[in-house]
Amino acid sequence: MFRFRHFGTRLLCIIVGLLAVAQLTTFFFVAQANRRNALAAVEQALDRGARQFEAITRGRQADLLLAARMLAGDYALRQLFLRADFNQDTARSALASYQDRIQASALIMLDAEGGLLASTQSGGTHALEPFRRLRSLAETEPTQEAAGWGFLGEMALNQIVLVPLYAPHPEIAAWIGVGFPIDRATAENLKDTSSLEVTFLTLDNTPRVIASTLGPERADELSRLARPGGDLALARLRLGGEEYVSRFRRVDTSTGQPAWVVLQRSLEVELAPARTLENVLVAFTLASLVVALLIGLFLARSISRPVRRLEEHTRVIAGGDYATAIHLPRADELGRLAEAFNALSSGLAERDRVRDLLDKNVSPEVAARLLRDGAALGGEEREVTVLFADLRGFTPLSEGLPARELIALLNRYLDRMSAAVEAQGGVVDKYIGDEIMAIFGAPVECADSADRAVRAALAMRGALAELNRELASEGRPPLAFGVGINTAHVIAGNIGSRRRLNYSVIGDGVNLAARLQPLTRRAEFATDIIVSDFTRAALRGSYVLRALGDITVKGKTTSSHIHAVDAAG
Amino acid sequence: MRFDFLPTTGSVRGSGFWRRLGISLVLGAGFLGGPLAARNGFEAVVVDAAGELVSDVVLSLTPLDGQAMPPSVAGEAKISQIKQEYSPYVTAVRTGTPVEFPNLDTIQHHIYSVSKPKRFEIPLYEPGRSEVVTFDQPGLVVIGCNIHDWMSAYVLVLDTPWFGKTTADGRVSLADLPSGRYRLELWHPRVSKPLSREVTLGTTSGAEPLRLTLALRPDRRLRRAPTPGAGGAY
Repeated sequence: MFRFRHFGTRLLCIIVGLLAVAQLTTFFFVAQANRRNALAAVEQALDRGARQFEAITRGRQADLLLAARMLAGDYALRQLFLRADFNQDTARSALASYQDRIQASALIMLDAEGGLLASTQSGGTHALEPFRRLRSLAETEPTQEAAGWGFLGEMALNQIVLVPLYAPHPEIAAWIGVGFPIDRATAENLKDTSSLEVTFLTLDNTPRVIASTLGPERADELSRLARPGGDLALARLRLGGEEYVSRFRRVDTSTGQPAWVVLQRSLEVELAPARTLENVLVAFTLASLVVALLIGLFLARSISRPVRRLEEHTRVIAGGDYATAIHLPRADELGRLAEAFNALSSGLAERDRVRDLLDKNVSPEVAARLLRDGAALGGEEREVTVLFADLRGFTPLSEGLPARELIALLNRYLDRMSAAVEAQGGVVDKYIGDEIMAIFGAPVECADSADRAVRAALAMRGALAELNRELASEGRPPLAFGVGINTAHVIAGNIGSRRRLNYSVIGDGVNLAARLQPLTRRAEFATDIIVSDFTRAALRGSYVLRALGDITVKGKTTSSHIHAVDAAG
Repeated sequence: MRFDFLPTTGSVRGSGFWRRLGISLVLGAGFLGGPLAARNGFEAVVVDAAGELVSDVVLSLTPLDGQAMPPSVAGEAKISQIKQEYSPYVTAVRTGTPVEFPNLDTIQHHIYSVSKPKRFEIPLYEPGRSEVVTFDQPGLVVIGCNIHDWMSAYVLVLDTPWFGKTTADGRVSLADLPSGRYRLELWHPRVSKPLSREVTLGTTSGAEPLRLTLALRPDRRLRRAPTPGAGGAY
């Protein structure tokens, strides 16, 4: 199965293909209609030609009859009969003179009973019979005249007429016959008026051409191919590689041997004007295909180029560069797609900014809220409670342990502690080695951050005891920790470089919490959880607290009141 | 001997002409003289197949028993050219009879015949003149005019003095015939088969004319060319 690798190629193929199909279909139907029209025109021309042939021969027959009548009435001829001794030579020469006068091919004189008196034909007998047959016809006619066709020689087809020589009317003293040849001149004459090829031929046992306007070779071919179905039959014949529509017209001679008139027109010649049109159409088709190709190319590029740019831009985005925007000033879908890409980039950049926060394993509700209220992450002053928890006794435990097991153990500890923080809605801000920094009241604000932090510390103490029991059963020494908690106004926000941002809190309050944590090492305090007086003041619930007095932490000039958390109230 | 003058064959010319392809001739014979006379009279009536009376039928009786024939009398026949027609159309004469051809028209005519018994021509001759042609051989002589195709006349030259031509009422009468056997012959320009039979006079009696049938061909006489300005009579 072929598949397009480029959208542009596909578009190009569709445009050019559709146009080609449309043009080819048009061309096909036009060519077919042209051929049908040409055939109809040829058939009409052939019908006209057949009628013209009728008219010409009918007119000539009338002329011949007229000429024969004039001859028969000529007194000079009658003079021959006034003499007791009919002189045949004289009569023949007189007929020859008349033949010249009327431009006939044959003149013949029969006596009243049909016997030959004189003829201008040298081989008299051949020419005699057709006229004798006419005489039988004439005797049945009221006009006592007859006209028809006859072979006055082997291939000498003639139009022949026979009229009586009256002396006087209606006494018939003799018959005068006139023949006019159907020859090349006749064919050319008919061709001139009808624009058809004209051939006279015989089609009996040995078909022979009498006369033709076709060249001798095609005429011979015609005589071999012609199989007339009957009078006025229509046929299509290929002569010399050209297709001719042909109409056959039978001519019955008075002696019964038929001759045929074949009227033809070359389909190629008839189609010539249509071919010109078809050539124009082909040229137009090719030109329009080229234009379509150019338009298609332009369209394809106008689509594929921005698509490619968008594709490249996705790589930019995939590469983590959310700052670079794509500039595609278009009003269409692609333009909107580019805008969507830019929105995507900025969305991704925004997500990057909150990702750190999300990494702090806040609950999905909190994450959604954070993403929605992204602006809140910009940096603000907020009262939060910060918790620092540091692991003790980890060093002796880690001795002799492989790195993998060490990390697994550490993570096991951090996991339990983090769970306790999150259970109270806190956020683990970071792990600093085995130390945990957790925030309550940011980024999601809450009024009881101190309570939450203290409850989380108590839960952590419980969780550690639980973990120690597990470690004891595993034959490992127990772990201990120290927790420092302070509640203070801090600055919360995304802190870091453009490529790496951390949501965190900073401020003296944070430092205080970090400083309180090491104080749990002091034996005199006998506690693992120390809270500042700020935290104590913020507590709403009741807890068992033990005042530890004032201390001055490192880096501070003022002293702080601190308390140990012994148990929940 | 007397010829009835018939200007045309009016009775057979007309619209119904072509239908009458067969025409019968009926002949009647009877005594014209009294009981003392040795001479007999003859009367015949000619009709065509449709029963129409036919004029211009020549009836001739040729003696078969050597009956004495009267001597020929010269100069009794005349064929005029008048109104560009021959008149009469049919003429019967005894062999050796000179026939006069007076031109009574205002134009010239050119009389000719190529018929074997008498080939002759009288080239264009002036109105008012008259030529005489003697028909010295028996047989049919058809006469035409070289410049008027429609003009034709028939001269039947007979070797007997006893003949006559039917008038418009189809009748023909002969008189002064000696008793005995005769060959009776009938001829008409359009006869397709001349009628010939034997009759005997002086032995039978009866006043009724006999009627006989004779087939005739269609009339093929030329219609006269219309005279320019004559209003197109045809």
